[in-house]
Amino acid sequence: MMQRKRKSKRAQPALKAIWRANIDDHPIGLAWSPEGNILAVAGVSGPITLFDGADGAVQRVLPGHALDTMAISWHKDSRLLASVGQDGKVRLWDAETGAQRSEMAGGASWVARVAFCPAGDWLVSAAGRKLRLWNSGGELIREYPDANSTITDIKWRYDGKQFAISAYNGVVLYDPEQAEPLRRFEWQGSTLTLEWSRDGKYIATGDQDSTVHFWITASGQDLQMWGYETKVLELAWSFNSRYLATGGGTQVVIWDCSGKGPANTRPIMLEGHQQLIKHLEFQRQGMLLASGGNDGLLAIWKVKKNKPVMLADAVFRAPIAGLAWSPDDRRIAVSDESGTLSIAAVQGN
Amino acid sequence: MMNAVDTRVPVAVLTGFLGSGKTTLLNRILTENHGKKIAVIENEFGEVGIDNDLVIGAEEEIFEMNNGCICCTVRGDLIRILGHLMKRRDKFDYIMIETTGMADPGPVAQTFYVDDDMQQKLHLDAIVTLVDAKHIWEHIDDSDEAKKQLAFADVILLNKIDLVAPEDLERLEARIKSMNSMAKIYRSRDAVVEMDKILNVGGFNLDRALDIDPKFMEPEYPFEWSGIYQLNPGTCEWVMGEGPDPTMGAALLPLANTGLAAKEATLMDAVLTFSDDEQAIKAGEMMRLGKGQYNQLVLNESGETVFNIEIQQPGYYMLFTEHHPDEFDARLRGADSVPDPLEAREYKPDHEHDEEVTSVGISVPGDLQLEKLNSWLSQLLQVQGQDIFRMKGVLSVRGWDERFVFQGVHMLFDGRADRPWGEELRHNKLIFIGRNLDRAALENGFRECLAA
Repeated sequence: MMQRKRKSKRAQPALKAIWRANIDDHPIGLAWSPEGNILAVAGVSGPITLFDGADGAVQRVLPGHALDTMAISWHKDSRLLASVGQDGKVRLWDAETGAQRSEMAGGASWVARVAFCPAGDWLVSAAGRKLRLWNSGGELIREYPDANSTITDIKWRYDGKQFAISAYNGVVLYDPEQAEPLRRFEWQGSTLTLEWSRDGKYIATGDQDSTVHFWITASGQDLQMWGYETKVLELAWSFNSRYLATGGGTQVVIWDCSGKGPANTRPIMLEGHQQLIKHLEFQRQGMLLASGGNDGLLAIWKVKKNKPVMLADAVFRAPIAGLAWSPDDRRIAVSDESGTLSIAAVQGN
Repeated sequence: MMNAVDTRVPVAVLTGFLGSGKTTLLNRILTENHGKKIAVIENEFGEVGIDNDLVIGAEEEIFEMNNGCICCTVRGDLIRILGHLMKRRDKFDYIMIETTGMADPGPVAQTFYVDDDMQQKLHLDAIVTLVDAKHIWEHIDDSDEAKKQLAFADVILLNKIDLVAPEDLERLEARIKSMNSMAKIYRSRDAVVEMDKILNVGGFNLDRALDIDPKFMEPEYPFEWSGIYQLNPGTCEWVMGEGPDPTMGAALLPLANTGLAAKEATLMDAVLTFSDDEQAIKAGEMMRLGKGQYNQLVLNESGETVFNIEIQQPGYYMLFTEHHPDEFDARLRGADSVPDPLEAREYKPDHEHDEEVTSVGISVPGDLQLEKLNSWLSQLLQVQGQDIFRMKGVLSVRGWDERFVFQGVHMLFDGRADRPWGEELRHNKLIFIGRNLDRAALENGFRECLAA
């Protein structure tokens, strides 16, 4: 990681590297344990490395999935890590001992999504059109009827009482206690990813046809934002549910959802990336936004209505592969496609 | 996107109706020792590693977009699978994608143009269409999918040639060339073809596309059908029911033997005969036999109409009819039997030409002005993009030392600087394949883009 040459003379807070590592693989998942003591990094070829969050010491290397690991998710107690992969399995690992606790069948050969409930003991997995609900003991609680097409994303509401899935044709909302969906937000298009606002009022989706959708969960009304350069896979809500940061191009586009909402408003635009933005992460309790792009640029922005500023930046040798703020917001984990992993603190904010 | 060295992984798309031999070909590719690392995306479920290669099962997921634009229609499953594959450290030399039999090649091809991640890391090297040389005739005129699969192809493999007579194969090849003059056509049995014919085709064999030997173009015939009968001396009847027209042209010509040369000679005689003055033949009258005798069969206002035929010399005869006999429920009736034709052939009717898939090649010397070219192409594609299936070109652009190569699918295209012209004569060659193409308009439009 090196500092980028700046045109302005304005003193900017620097990113201070705390520790670095390399997993010698394309990192596809980057997840802090809820307590912040472990950083789990999954490589595409399978293994999942558990780093000590404080100093980067390798605590465990879990074998993961023989035919590529696709996603990981932590249980709320920081002890169990779930992983899914192309061996058709959902696996639960004991982070302390490194032992595999359970192995479950995802329902199709590519299990692409997994999400532990942030509040309860639930785990949801998606493999193709198969959606399954488990408990942390690895028991199947429910298998839902097949989705219309491959499930592209699963996200829990922040209170853990509902979860939503996206697929071609929109979004479906579930209560884990019920077999029937709560609600369907239908739209004829390919929805690639979704993100709940913290207050649960909105679900935002990124779409293949270069649009972003807002769904107002209470009413089912929707709002479509278009004009993106490319498909939108990057969405991040600020903790106060006011801003939705979106990628889908070389500029970060931020919609202000306060007041009457984002309809007919001009978004805040952040310029700095030379190539497509691939990752966006807001702090959990602060207003710093991290963006990472194909140009290898990591930028940290302070998001304000009138004058958003880039607080710090760094350039990696390869496109950014993942971003994750630590639960206390003080550090950010960044990976690039060459396998470099860097944990840095943002100073002076 | 402009860069001189293309580091993207080449992709081949394999299309063809069920039974055309796609699976046989894929198995051959996977088991043959070609020294390449290949990933195959099949229509079947399950992922299997075969030695060095990888086979991934996929379910076609066609993503139509909300804006209803056909060129935004892509294969969502491919974006996911290939996106993941590209993250792997073990890089593949080549990726092959098998489509289902009835697939429109449009969405799969478009996936490599529309999606940025795909476009950055992969490029569509070739659309390879397998053709069951025997059964394709059942689809070639009626099936939109079959036409598109042929029209989109860079390489066409006429498979199962051992089941087809040589003249039928010639006819098939001629027909295909009239639709798609760009494709390289190979013949095979059991899908045996050298790997370099379908891998790394690398696209631009435009010389071949533009210099079509005119004799390959299937001529237009004034008749839609012919049947060969073996007839003995005596009389027989040509019986017709009611049909779409009150009259029908017909010619009955002797055929020396059933060999190809004799049939071709009689075919030529028939073309000449149909250009002769017609002679009205009414119910119960004798049809005229021989070269130059163009019968205009006049039907009764209702019910069956019977025309008489008198045969003096035993042997083969070829009956040519303006319309397909089925349209009139027409048949030959002997004294005590209903002779079936030994062989029947259908001809492409000339009046349906407008809807046919054709190729328009343009070859023009000189330098192009890039702005003019861009605005002409973008306007053309906006208006006619749905009907233009493929286009390819090597262009000479003013101010550029390198050849500008481009190719496109429907409304999407991808152009880049290629190798320098060097000693080569600067020249523009391009080809469009599609429906309702107006050759003159395309050529004029293109000429307008030349730098003054």
